[in-house]
Amino acid sequence: MRLWLSSSLWFCAPFAVLLVLWAVLLPYFEVNPRLFPHLDAVVEAGLEGIKDGTLIQHIGASLLRVTVGTVLALVFAIPLGVAMGVSPAVSGFLTPPFRFFSVLAGIAWIPLASLWFGYGFGAITFVIFNAVFFIVTYNTLLGVSTIPLQVRNAAASLGAGRWAMLTEVLLPGALPNIVTGIRTGLGFAWRGLIAAEMIATNVGLGYMLFVARDFYKTEVIVLGMIVIGVLWLLLDRLLLAPIERATSERWGMVQRA
Amino acid sequence: MKSLTIRNLSKTYFDVHAGANVTAVRDLSLEVPAGEFVSIVGPSGCGKTTLLNMIAGFIPHTGGEILVGGRPVKGPGPDRGVVFQSWALFPWRTVLDNVAFGPKMRGVGRAEREKIAHDYLALAKLSEAAGRYPNELSGGMQQRVGVVRALANEPDVLLMDEPFASVDAQTRMTLQEELTRIWEQKRPTVIFITHDVAEAVFLGNRVVALSKGRVLEEITVDLPRPRVWDDLNKDDRFKALTARVLQLVRSA
Amino acid sequence: MSTLLLKTWSHYLRLTTQWPSIGTIVPFIPLIVAWWIVTALQVFPPAFLPGPADVVRSFGTLVYTGVLPEYLQDSVVRLIVGSFWGIMLGIPLGLLVGLSQRVHKALWPLLMFFQAIGDIAWLPILVIWFGYGLVTMTVVIVYTVIFPVILNTVLGVRSIPINMHRAALSLGASRTRMLWEVVLPGALPNIMTGLRNGLGYGWRALIATEIIVGTSGIGFLMFDARRAGSVVEILLGMIILGTLWYIVDSWILAPIERATGQRWGLVTK
Repeated sequence: MRLWLSSSLWFCAPFAVLLVLWAVLLPYFEVNPRLFPHLDAVVEAGLEGIKDGTLIQHIGASLLRVTVGTVLALVFAIPLGVAMGVSPAVSGFLTPPFRFFSVLAGIAWIPLASLWFGYGFGAITFVIFNAVFFIVTYNTLLGVSTIPLQVRNAAASLGAGRWAMLTEVLLPGALPNIVTGIRTGLGFAWRGLIAAEMIATNVGLGYMLFVARDFYKTEVIVLGMIVIGVLWLLLDRLLLAPIERATSERWGMVQRA
Repeated sequence: MKSLTIRNLSKTYFDVHAGANVTAVRDLSLEVPAGEFVSIVGPSGCGKTTLLNMIAGFIPHTGGEILVGGRPVKGPGPDRGVVFQSWALFPWRTVLDNVAFGPKMRGVGRAEREKIAHDYLALAKLSEAAGRYPNELSGGMQQRVGVVRALANEPDVLLMDEPFASVDAQTRMTLQEELTRIWEQKRPTVIFITHDVAEAVFLGNRVVALSKGRVLEEITVDLPRPRVWDDLNKDDRFKALTARVLQLVRSA
Repeated sequence: MSTLLLKTWSHYLRLTTQWPSIGTIVPFIPLIVAWWIVTALQVFPPAFLPGPADVVRSFGTLVYTGVLPEYLQDSVVRLIVGSFWGIMLGIPLGLLVGLSQRVHKALWPLLMFFQAIGDIAWLPILVIWFGYGLVTMTVVIVYTVIFPVILNTVLGVRSIPINMHRAALSLGASRTRMLWEVVLPGALPNIMTGLRNGLGYGWRALIATEIIVGTSGIGFLMFDARRAGSVVEILLGMIILGTLWYIVDSWILAPIERATGQRWGLVTK
């Protein structure tokens, strides 16, 4: 407990230093606020955004899109990945196309998505779905195909039927890769989200940033950037990384692409 | 424990990489009464692993029949337990859960199957490892878990595919002695595949020498039990038997 | 029937072991065929989903008018310039953070946070500072590339076994020689991985930037086509993107990464 506390403090220390520098240096050098906002302006913008609810709205919209897109993607990607990974011939054959589509994950789909779905929730969720779907399918495929045949045979010789094989062997065996895939996919999804919100909608963190630029409201921009950074940091470090570490380290399995 | 009967077994398959038909096993017959320990030896490529995979049901046979307790074999199942050379433990389950896997598949309740698992782990003197994960154990310990996991399911026939080949020499001798000790307590019908001739003679009631997919010769091992390495290494009968089998295998 | 299938599959497998490129190209054929069938059957309206023939035709036109080569060149040049600076700055920084415990403690949390902000979020403020030109785009790419490079360099430096340092010291190596003779070669496989990842992210960041604030380049091509409502060029842009990156990654970067890692028997994750 103490270890966690002290390491958290150490983690925050550089930021404290940065904040102090920010609060002191900018006014001292009389930096133009239109170029870079002062700390108090950003804090004020933040408090205002919370009070009138706009900040919460933007955050909520962004998070909702990410969640829906991701959940939808996982629902399709994991079963598909398992089905493909079970046969070495199929997984070997399908790997190049999936790698190809992984490359396009997220951002490259924005023009197409906005043309097919118009502006708003649908297009952005589609971009997120895309970003997560291909990467998770590919990683699931990889995870399942690298389960040694003898482990699968062992389960069969211990009486495992089709369902037991899926839940007791294939899914746990592929889990480290699946989690890595989710983590990577979410990374792309988050970036794709911000980019898509800049051009294809009228609510959300990306939109908030882009619109503020038009009005030279740098304090809103910087506020938005900080919020984005903190959100992703929380999501990745507090949720995804521990899960990834727990599965692959505890079970001693390190299988990577 | 049931008997194992193999009659005129053959296996021909199309090798995708060679682009041609390959016959791994031809016209092989073998009778194993219930409770007997049979060692199968042979040079690499003689078909012994293919034979085991067919008995286990992992691959289909193209001719002849395999009967366990008089009933033909169709696909893998808990009646034929397998111990693999790579031990094939489930890395995401503890040692206890690995051993309890078979009973779990049969629908045995949690309390009961954990008791079964604990009993078998105690049999192999692995009780303290129950809560650990396989990757935390040494190779020798992992292999013992593999043996015990197959045994805990009380199969009619136990198939062992060169289980001690990946383990160092000293550990191997300990494992062999342990295996005979456990076997004498439970008396399963065992097919033990190995390329180590001394191991085959040490463990089995009978040694079957395979060559190019068929049985060369069967040699009865009438050494008394319990068998211990320190004694057998000085036993002339053991040395003679080992020499004879070795000669067979090398001439194959 | 099944033997015929097996025989064909066997031929295919042996061909791919001889020429691995076939294994990379053949799987796309059913995909293209399926695409062609779907569009020929007009399952979706043609304005929605044009067929392969339309895309090829558009490709020809754009090449002929010189638009495509120019845009492609613009995109590639920006990527190379940005990646160059990202690598030049990233590797030394990575070495520094990896080697010094104090620098690591001071900078690591900041690196994590700024990486979390992501390249795209910087666009608005960069546009305010530098306008819509090459500088903005280069900064974004540098920002994107630098993080994987730094992080992987740090990983590489830290996974050099301590005995290698000791061996070098006991053979009389100075600090600088240690850097050149032990640290850099030892971390090289991971640095290559970082390069490969960084370029992958950089490519995507470039496209995003071109879509949002660009005036030329493949990303801009796609966004411009979107404004005109022309799906054909969007698809063309995506295919070019994917193919280009796939080729560079699979046939240039991956072999280099494998060569360093395997050659020296070092595989660290």
